Amino acid sequence: MSERIIEYRDALCEAMSEEMRDDKKVFLLGEEVAQYNGAYKISKGMLDEFGPRRVIDTPISESGFSGMAIGAAMRGLRPIVEFMSWSFSLVAADPILNNAAKMLYMSGGQFGCPIVFRGNDGAGGQLGSTHSWCVESLYANVPGLKMAIPYDAYDAKGMLKTAIRDDNPVFFLESERLLSTTGHVPVEEYTVPFGQALVRRQGTDCTIISFGRPLHFCQEAAEELAKEGIACEIIDGRTIRPLDIDTMVASVRKTNTCVVVDQSWSFASVGSEIASQIHRYCFDDLDNFVHRVHSDDVPTPYASNLEQAYLPNTRKICEAVRAATYNS
Amino acid sequence: MPIEITMPRLSDTMEEGTLLQWHKQLGDVVSSGDVLADIETDKATMELQSFDDGIFSEILVQEGEKVEVGKVVAVLTEEDEAPLESTTPEEPANETKVEIQKPEKTGMAISPVARRLADEYGIDLKTIQGSGPSGRVIKRDILQVVDATKETSAAAATTQPDEIIQRTVSEPEVVATTHPIVASGDWRENRSEPLSNMRQVIAKRLVESKQTIPHYQVTMSFDMDPLLDMRKTLNKQLANSGVKLSVNDFLVRCCALAMAEHPAFNASFGGDCIYFHGPVNVGIAIALPEDKGGGLVVGTIRDADQKSLRSISQESVRLGKKARDKGLSLEEMSDTTFTISNLGMFGVEHFTAIINPPNSAILAVGAAIEKPVVRGGELVVGNELSATLSLDHRVIDGAMAARYLKTLKELIENPAALLV
Amino acid sequence: MVGVKTTTSMDKTETEQNVASTELPHVQLEKSPMPESGILLGWLRQMLLIREFEVRTMQAYQNRLIGGFCHVYIGQEAVAVGSIAAVNPDDPVVLAYRCHGHALARGMDPKHCMAEMFGRIGGCAKGKGGSMHMFDAPHHLYGGHGIVGAQTPLGTGLAFATKYEDEVLQDGKSSHVTLCYLGDGAINQGAFYEAMNLAGLYDLPVIFVLENNRYSMGTAIERGTTMANELHTKSEAHGINHAIVDGKDVVSMYQSFKSIADWCREESRPFFVEAQTYRYKGHSMSDPRKYRTREEETREEELDCIDRLEKLLCDEHGLTRDGIKQMSRQVKTQVREAVEWAKKSPETPMDELYKDVYVDHWGLFTGTSKPQMMQGEDE
Repeated sequence: MSERIIEYRDALCEAMSEEMRDDKKVFLLGEEVAQYNGAYKISKGMLDEFGPRRVIDTPISESGFSGMAIGAAMRGLRPIVEFMSWSFSLVAADPILNNAAKMLYMSGGQFGCPIVFRGNDGAGGQLGSTHSWCVESLYANVPGLKMAIPYDAYDAKGMLKTAIRDDNPVFFLESERLLSTTGHVPVEEYTVPFGQALVRRQGTDCTIISFGRPLHFCQEAAEELAKEGIACEIIDGRTIRPLDIDTMVASVRKTNTCVVVDQSWSFASVGSEIASQIHRYCFDDLDNFVHRVHSDDVPTPYASNLEQAYLPNTRKICEAVRAATYNS
Repeated sequence: MPIEITMPRLSDTMEEGTLLQWHKQLGDVVSSGDVLADIETDKATMELQSFDDGIFSEILVQEGEKVEVGKVVAVLTEEDEAPLESTTPEEPANETKVEIQKPEKTGMAISPVARRLADEYGIDLKTIQGSGPSGRVIKRDILQVVDATKETSAAAATTQPDEIIQRTVSEPEVVATTHPIVASGDWRENRSEPLSNMRQVIAKRLVESKQTIPHYQVTMSFDMDPLLDMRKTLNKQLANSGVKLSVNDFLVRCCALAMAEHPAFNASFGGDCIYFHGPVNVGIAIALPEDKGGGLVVGTIRDADQKSLRSISQESVRLGKKARDKGLSLEEMSDTTFTISNLGMFGVEHFTAIINPPNSAILAVGAAIEKPVVRGGELVVGNELSATLSLDHRVIDGAMAARYLKTLKELIENPAALLV
Repeated sequence: MVGVKTTTSMDKTETEQNVASTELPHVQLEKSPMPESGILLGWLRQMLLIREFEVRTMQAYQNRLIGGFCHVYIGQEAVAVGSIAAVNPDDPVVLAYRCHGHALARGMDPKHCMAEMFGRIGGCAKGKGGSMHMFDAPHHLYGGHGIVGAQTPLGTGLAFATKYEDEVLQDGKSSHVTLCYLGDGAINQGAFYEAMNLAGLYDLPVIFVLENNRYSMGTAIERGTTMANELHTKSEAHGINHAIVDGKDVVSMYQSFKSIADWCREESRPFFVEAQTYRYKGHSMSDPRKYRTREEETREEELDCIDRLEKLLCDEHGLTRDGIKQMSRQVKTQVREAVEWAKKSPETPMDELYKDVYVDHWGLFTGTSKPQMMQGEDE
């Protein structure tokens, strides 16, 4: 493999472009994806390459264009729907949850929905509560959809290609704060399969499980805790549906303690689900209950200091790991 | 062919409907789509519509009557056809049983992995002071003990503790099935055995009993001298007939007679009512031999208040033998209304028992023990027996229990009445 | 002539980018010619079939063979039969929840439709959809949809897909038209306006068929919708032409729809057609219809679509009352057989519970399979 460092956003663009070259059924639509070259410049250059029939600007009309794309997917086309932010997907909740996720079941296997919804998830930075949604816990509750959260550029490309080729609806959650991060992305063709978590750091004292952007804070926390003699093992779950609980369980059986870091709210969340499963499968291996770090149970504040305190951060993760390992 | 008109389901939640008014009279010609009647549902007043043509020939439900969905309310016939007799069987009421389980409280806080490691290393948790919150014993505490033991007895160990600890920490499931060691050397292999069916039943029923029935206990001592004297006499007389009365046989009869006098002891808690049973059926707990897997069954002595000591004895012997040899039939184990558990033959002085549902009481009987007692103001040696009732407070209150024991005491201490 | 609103001339510039026309295009359509009597007889049979099917549906519901919510189509038969007759068999059709009639008109075997409502494995969706969710892939029927208005963006998407297939994948000319049905309740849903805007914006060949039966559940249209007598204003705002047709006259329905469908197909443009009709029964099975008078119902039933076609066929095509009776008997037999077939169809087996959630196998999920209807087992 060749060494090549590119940005997360370019990795996403490469994934879409390569898949669109390979399969004419794949097309991209969303707000500002074409002429504007993408609100976050993810689809930069794609209009020029694929033309306006396959890279389609939509009005600000999430319910309409999501439903339209689902109708197209019912006929076997493979739309990629870009939400400028997953926060805006809430007005499209009916089509994406009622139609995309349930179509195969309700039609008794007649009509599937091979579609990717993708966009920024989580707090971008002082956007206020309506624009800072972490939709993973809200949407992961619904059977019939898959959910993927890539953390670095390598996964962004490999997982998006897998998502586009998947015959099921995939909710693909990116992060505005990760778009400019860079990473090694091979020139050669590759994909990252769903349902395979990645051990991003090895350790013996505490397992930290997270997805997407909070992994950055998990890494920082692990560095700090290492100085205190606590060796953390960090697991990037990568996909929430399917969830690779096996990798998580294997790690907890080794470390006997676990902290789950989930940027959505705590009540009935991805974090609570993983904690519940760890308690179930690792009951006799736990030295303490599973500790959890979430965003605080309040609407996302605008003020910078409040927002920083509200989000999962290095301090919160360190405190949770110390408590879980009886070092506080 | 006659066409039955049934009470229609007119909403997704409708279970029954009231026939408000008939719009057709007997003999009227009915066409498909005609309104036959008005029906009041749980949501609204609706029309009962005919789906067929025919003559309106029979009305089975009168105006104002409420009937369940599906019941035939009228019959249509084609011309020259006799009306149809209709019968609708009663549907059995659905019984639903809600089981409530409460977590059992444990005394000592131990993290699950600490408990497992202690088990694997054969460490007595009682000897360990937990360092976690509220004294919880955590993994670190166990490993410290293991380390200390390892240092003091490394030379004596036959395998390498280092290796074992390493493996325990990283691959616990493997260690659990191989050979963990403890330095003292008197370690015996841990093992688990799957539950037999009987143990499963015992576990389930008694947990359910202990968790759902508000138990309390009342104990009383009995002067056994008169009863033991009479037993000796009777057994001498009966020696040739092959009958040997046990103390328990007397107690069965005493309890049964007392139950006839105190109906609450022959009752079951029924949720919103108390069932008072007619027959007095006394259950006797029978321990099964260890070599046959052990366990416990309760044999039923039916109508015990109607039976003589002799027939109670014969039945008790027969049940005990059959239980041990080939097991009791369902008939021989069911319908008890009260249970006696007697550990007197093992010399046990006093214990408490768990109620055998759906009974409301169980009597735990200890041994008749020779001890100094006060009789008529003098200290003498006498035989005393202590028995403890466990009671379901939902059915029997403390004073009722005391009154029952008083009756029991009168019977035991004046045993002549038992012969009547 | 179809009652199309005509305005100024078309001002559409066709460029590589999607640019919507800024004014309503001028459209003048002639009614299509009257079809021959054999075709009319076929429609009569379809309408009789739908009506008898719905009567037996009501009966089965009252006998507890059908659960949940159930909405019958009695009175509106001419809308589905006349409009579906006007499009090609491979043109997509998508529906709201009052969908049994359209499924039958489109060609679904009544036994699969009935078995679906009975919740049996022989149902078109293996008993997983129910009364409101009739799907039939071989007949290009993309489902009844239970959420009011939700099907309208899907209809737009189906039209988007046929156009994409014809133009991008086949490199040819757009040659399909999608029928997207909705009730008058759906015209108050936001999704419908978004769907119309996108259809107008992207020049999508979709006909939004408004079945105006004047009541959304128990709410008369004037009580829930502004400009209830000027519904063309709703589509004009999105650059979409509008027509009003008599939804209780199957011949008129067909003649209008044929012209409109051909135009939409040719021009790759959407259309909004208001079919004025009336549902004889309640909104659902638990509706006592207290919000309207019996006189109104009787008046509407006098203009019954089946009676009108029967009269036309008797007066002008030599059909006899006996001929009608005979057809009626055949239809009754067909529906009775469908009910019996559905009763005999086994309950959906438990292994279907975790099937069709995902296409692939993972976790508890066991992939997907097609319903009996598509396996050719029963024919």
